[in-house]
Amino acid sequence: MNHAFLILKRWMALLACAGILSFAGSRIEAADEAAKTPAAETAATTAATPAAGDAGHAAANVPGHGHGGEAKHVSFAEQFGYSYLTAYMFCLSLCMGSLFLVIVHHLFDAGWSASIRRVTEQLSSLLFPWMLVLLIPILVLQKQIYPWLSLDPAQDHSLAVKVVLFNPTAFNLFLIALVGSWGAIAHSFRRWSLAQDKDGKVEWTRKSRVLAAAGIFYFAFSLTLGCFYLMKSLQHQFFSTMYGVYYFAGSVWTTLATVYVLIMVLSRPGMPLEKVVFKRQQQDVGVLFFAFTVFYAYIHFSQYFLIWNAAMPEETFWYVRREYGSWKWVGFTILFGHFFIPFLLMLNQDIKRKLFLMFPMAAWAWLMHYVDMTFNVMPVLHPEGLHVSILDPLLWFGMTGFLAVMFWRNFNSAAPYPLRDPRFAEAVTHHEIPAAGGAASHH
Amino acid sequence: MAKSASDPQSHAGHSAPVGAALKVYPAPKELEREPLVLNNRSLGWITDAIAGICEKPMPKWWWPAFIISFGVMVMMFSMIAYEVSTGIGVWGLNQPANWAWDITNFVFWIGIGHAGTLISAVLFLLRQKWRTSINRSAEAMTLFAVACAGIFPVFHVGRVWFALLPGYLIPAPNANGIWPQFRSPLLWDVFAVSTYGTVSLLFWFTGLIPDLATLRDRATSKVRKFFYGLFALGWTGSNRNWSNYEKAYLILAGLSTPLVLSVHSIVSFDFAVSVVPGWHTTIFPPYFVAGAIFSGFGMVLTLLIPMRTLFKLEDVITVRHVELMCKVILATGSIVGYAYGMEFFIAWYGGSPYELYAFKNRAFGPYWWSYWSMITCNVISPHLFWFKWCRSTMWFVWLISIVVNIGMWFERFVIIVTSLHRDYLPGSWGYFTPSWVDILTFVGSFGLFMTLFLLFIRFLPAIAISEVKGVTPQADPHHPLGGAKDHH
Repeated sequence: MNHAFLILKRWMALLACAGILSFAGSRIEAADEAAKTPAAETAATTAATPAAGDAGHAAANVPGHGHGGEAKHVSFAEQFGYSYLTAYMFCLSLCMGSLFLVIVHHLFDAGWSASIRRVTEQLSSLLFPWMLVLLIPILVLQKQIYPWLSLDPAQDHSLAVKVVLFNPTAFNLFLIALVGSWGAIAHSFRRWSLAQDKDGKVEWTRKSRVLAAAGIFYFAFSLTLGCFYLMKSLQHQFFSTMYGVYYFAGSVWTTLATVYVLIMVLSRPGMPLEKVVFKRQQQDVGVLFFAFTVFYAYIHFSQYFLIWNAAMPEETFWYVRREYGSWKWVGFTILFGHFFIPFLLMLNQDIKRKLFLMFPMAAWAWLMHYVDMTFNVMPVLHPEGLHVSILDPLLWFGMTGFLAVMFWRNFNSAAPYPLRDPRFAEAVTHHEIPAAGGAASHH
Repeated sequence: MAKSASDPQSHAGHSAPVGAALKVYPAPKELEREPLVLNNRSLGWITDAIAGICEKPMPKWWWPAFIISFGVMVMMFSMIAYEVSTGIGVWGLNQPANWAWDITNFVFWIGIGHAGTLISAVLFLLRQKWRTSINRSAEAMTLFAVACAGIFPVFHVGRVWFALLPGYLIPAPNANGIWPQFRSPLLWDVFAVSTYGTVSLLFWFTGLIPDLATLRDRATSKVRKFFYGLFALGWTGSNRNWSNYEKAYLILAGLSTPLVLSVHSIVSFDFAVSVVPGWHTTIFPPYFVAGAIFSGFGMVLTLLIPMRTLFKLEDVITVRHVELMCKVILATGSIVGYAYGMEFFIAWYGGSPYELYAFKNRAFGPYWWSYWSMITCNVISPHLFWFKWCRSTMWFVWLISIVVNIGMWFERFVIIVTSLHRDYLPGSWGYFTPSWVDILTFVGSFGLFMTLFLLFIRFLPAIAISEVKGVTPQADPHHPLGGAKDHH
């Protein structure tokens, strides 16, 4: 445990250094910006004043818009901000995907997943305080990250129409409230689950179900708003009704890959879930992982296809930028790596318990989700093509490593599975519990 | 970490039940799951109860129901004959609403047909055992709904014989070498719906084979024996038969699952690939699929609730089954509600005045009554199913199931008509009102649907006998009632 804290301290120190550097960078950048004449920017935003129906063409001149193609000077603060945002969106996916799995477990009154629920409870609990703390650099660097924060709504139609939501106050307050509330929900589930470990009362299950019932609606709408603010607003002119579902689908996919690895490792001989996780759980998580491979592809294909087919500039600009230069190959990587490879690999049901294939598959899923986040975030900063900075892996490893340590600390602080969950018997007996409810047979 | 990692006590201050051995607490009484077949019915009882429906004379209510349904169906065919002989002008279509009642009915019926494959294939792959009591009727309902759906696109061309000629709907060039427009989702619909219908028929028939053999073996007349025997394909119930059957069923389930997504996704493309405000929205594919499942389950409940009472099948189609279907309606209704909200939100967020107008016009324009009917039926009414009383009171569930279907019909009407009747030029705005031919054709399609369904319960087992037996305690070798005992 001391070792874990040592690692934690080092990561905290690393993040603190990165924060200081970014702050310094932002000051330098601010000085640079002040020295520049903002004539070009002003001209561009003026052109964006809406003649109705012309928003798309006009918006092509707005920062973060258009075909891109020309490399621009990127400050350290900007690069840090975008690299950090990519890593943050990746980690948020894991936490929100876990929260979703906890919610649906209670909502569906599931039996099979009772023995692995503590894993998802602990993962989602990282939302508070850690994801909220990790949000701070984004809030600090918001002007470096989000072009719309530097625009005058009076000069930009697509910003003016949504200024109620897209203003600095709403942006900051909503983001803090969203991440904080997700954390509160996750901690409520965890707290009640731990309380049930002690007294075995059904009341905790009932409370969780009520929260899950209300929580699923809050989850759907708040996650949509959250990913609009954090990622979609990088190009605030873009709109797609599918975008929230798209982020959700990728998030749950990555989470299932993570949960798969965790339960496989934790159910090995001598590990805490050895006696409670069986082939059934392993297979079912693998099946869900496969199902979400298809679901994500369905969602992303639908979004892409409908925008491509309608060919309206108000929408196509988002993909046009992502088909420019080497971004095109990133898109192809998502097409094949996010869908075809995992789909073909996991199509055979026996594969889902072959660790020598599934562990690399899960690692590949992490990589692909990171590529997907990069595909969403980075073309705004590097329209000329894919640009990998040292900050990308540094911040990604830093953030995921830090959260991994926190997860392990949390996981070890409580029982590794819900000891007295009323559905626990179903999970460990493959639904083969005798009618009398006595000792169960394990297979 | 001095203790073994597998010891829960080493993880927490909480006291784990037993250190070395795993202690399993049984579920408390209040959370025990109801069995899927009530009253510990034997396998023989299940066969008698289900096969008996199509072996005994039909109850008294069946004939009036059949005659009325048949009459309504005849009315539909009369309306179609009138439309074909007179011209498409007998419908209420106009400019700008040149696509209205017919396509609304097509999407409505295709949606109804969605639940069958979902219950058969997707719930099968997800190992949801409760599907066994309802899948047969739902699959049959799918086929009949697809038949009803097919009528509208075929006859909306007016001179219907052209629809079947090469170059129109058939994917082959006509005499002038002109092919159908392959870039049109309307042609994709032809492929999607026909594939869906074919696979659904195969799936339904495959599942029927063991039960047809049961009916063959129980048949007392030569005619029945011949026909059931013909379609039972020589089923003997051998291990080899069952092994092949299970494999075929699994493969068909795997093939059908993408179809569940594809059919209504492609139907949604009919609208979403366009640039018409209100139609072009990226969430349409999953939103249409969710809506289709929503309405499909609505229709399953509309049919099965009376059926379970009239044929005294309460022990097989239990309150638990009904409750679970209500929950599916609640879930899919919520997804549909999210999509409605997201459409409105993005219409505002996107900043396109035309898009925003289309949605304001839906809610507050001349068709406000249809929009708010849709919201009341699809967004508000399913949330009553949060309450157990609402889920377990059969007359109430039946009422809501009808409300759901009314709402889903209105959804298609709202999407189609309100987006077309007012376009970019106020000078070309119009208002669609259905003609009496429109209305009677649609009402008549219910006659076709009910006629086919009544014939189905008359001649075929309405519940999958062999599959229901598979979820009884007797089929579980670990259960005290299971194993090779005399339960026949």
